[in-house]
Amino acid sequence: MLSINTILLLVAPEWVLRLTGERQPDVFWAEYIVWPLIQIALVLFIILTLVAYLVYLERKVSAFIQARLGPMRVGPWGLLQPAADGLKLLLKEDIIPLKADRAVFMIAPIISVVAALVVLSVIPWGAAWATIANINIGLLFILAVSSVSVLGLVLAGWSSNSKYSLLGALRSSAQMVSYEVGMGLSIIGALMFAKTLSMSGIIDAQRADGVWYVFFQPIGFLVYLISALGETNRAPFDLPEAESELVAGYHTEYSGFRWALFFMAEYTAMIVTSAVAVTLFLGGWHFPGLDWLRGQTNQAVFVIASVLIFAAKLAVLIYAYMWIRWTWPRYRYDQLMDIGWKWMIPAGLANIVLTGIYYVLAMPKAQGGLFGLMQSQATQMGERLVPTAWGKLYFIATGFAVTIPLVWLLLATINRRSRDFNLHEQRQLQMNLRRERIQKSAEPQAAGSAQ
Amino acid sequence: MSAAITPVRKRTLGELIRRLLLLDLFKGLALTFKYNLRAFYEPRDGGNPNQAIYTEQYPLEPARVSERFRGAPRLNLDPDTSGTLCIACDLCALACPVDCIEVGSIRREVRDGEKVNKKKVLTTFTFDTSRCMFCNLCSEACPTDCLELTQSFELAVYHRSGFRWDREMLEKGINYVRYTK
Repeated sequence: MLSINTILLLVAPEWVLRLTGERQPDVFWAEYIVWPLIQIALVLFIILTLVAYLVYLERKVSAFIQARLGPMRVGPWGLLQPAADGLKLLLKEDIIPLKADRAVFMIAPIISVVAALVVLSVIPWGAAWATIANINIGLLFILAVSSVSVLGLVLAGWSSNSKYSLLGALRSSAQMVSYEVGMGLSIIGALMFAKTLSMSGIIDAQRADGVWYVFFQPIGFLVYLISALGETNRAPFDLPEAESELVAGYHTEYSGFRWALFFMAEYTAMIVTSAVAVTLFLGGWHFPGLDWLRGQTNQAVFVIASVLIFAAKLAVLIYAYMWIRWTWPRYRYDQLMDIGWKWMIPAGLANIVLTGIYYVLAMPKAQGGLFGLMQSQATQMGERLVPTAWGKLYFIATGFAVTIPLVWLLLATINRRSRDFNLHEQRQLQMNLRRERIQKSAEPQAAGSAQ
Repeated sequence: MSAAITPVRKRTLGELIRRLLLLDLFKGLALTFKYNLRAFYEPRDGGNPNQAIYTEQYPLEPARVSERFRGAPRLNLDPDTSGTLCIACDLCALACPVDCIEVGSIRREVRDGEKVNKKKVLTTFTFDTSRCMFCNLCSEACPTDCLELTQSFELAVYHRSGFRWDREMLEKGINYVRYTK
């Protein structure tokens, strides 16, 4: 008994429910098996194509920035270049070094790419059915799983049995571990406002508050962006792949499709970190006027519009990544660690403390707050504290006018001695100090010998 | 020992502000963004150093060479009579340091109005481009501005014999396969 209604129910349960207006009995298969599989196939297809075209975009952006044209020959404006590249990488010989640890060498890129791809399942690409899995610890899941990709890099570097790979892997593991801390800390400020770890919940919270959290959390956003650059091993923090020092870093010995997997992991990680930034700080798929559209048209149009908005926000951030990569030079390794530990982590911590203070002060007076700039409101997420208009102004003003100077003061105090990256001046200072010391110790002897 | 202690230079207020606001980083970003933007709307003019895109799409569009560039040889024709300008004086062959020019001529009676002159007339002209070093001495020696080194530089051929250009080739030039976009 396979009526059209049953088939439709398997494919698009929401539409069937909306058409028939009644709850169907066997909706389980549709809701938990068929529809998610369709979503997974769709998201994987789109994201993997997108990854290929991000490489194309990267080449074009770099070319334009350097007064070149970039790929032009394969297809109009080189648009088929990603397909040609993919084909080439697929057909290339799969070289495994003789002294490499074969099993680990083969598994490493898979770990990397899986860790990057799994995360795609919890990202809210758009409203309603555009998210594959709306789990209530989405952000935690993303942070946890994406840190597994370090394992892939370390294994790749270790199993290659090559000094360049090993050094690259050491660097990348140290870098990713230290930038993950700053990344985790920078997120918490926004989470205090959202009061949920669910990715869709964070977007709903921003809709309910009526403000994107960038405006509440300028320092958090900045720290997140910089840490994300470090976390994804991209310029100016691309030390694991510093070609002038390490040939190609952890994937020096990789070729063909295994190398392509690493590449895919890198670009997917780029998409994921940008998507998290969009969700947490830029309002996700929400945009002023979208709620009006929801009332005007049917749900499919609304969801597609929300996906497009999300994609546009994502594109801006990804362009910023590329823009930065082709503008700024690479940091030295000690500078990289300096930025991670002495700048990003203190800034993140200070941001948490300050945000907490602002939040407590702004709570309703009945709940022990001082200013009473928030009020309990029934939203679609249930009862929640929503800042009033003055409350929004208060949070924005404190975020920009108080947090930024205070964090700057803190960083200036912490980095008083190492503030200057200029090695020449530092060396000059040390030489002067040494000269003074030598002169002091030499004076009594000189006096003694003259007598 | 009286080594001069060089004091570490104090920063001026302007420098301090530059550092604080990371102005230099943003200046770099502005520059690259400007280039990226210009690449979209500026009409391409290959080889122009002030252009947002410097690249020449060479086989698809003609490549630019410098004005003084010396390339493929050519025997110029008289624009009025469309006969050759060459008087077979052999000066180019004498001037050539690598002996790549051979001028063949015969003496013939040429009627010029009432008079009949015995004149040297060009029959063959062979130019070996594989030996030529494009020094332009032949062209400078030519008394009638007949032999000239042009700006054409696509001299590659499939066989060695192709390097020996005869009179017809020198007068007409080679037919290149032209690729279009």
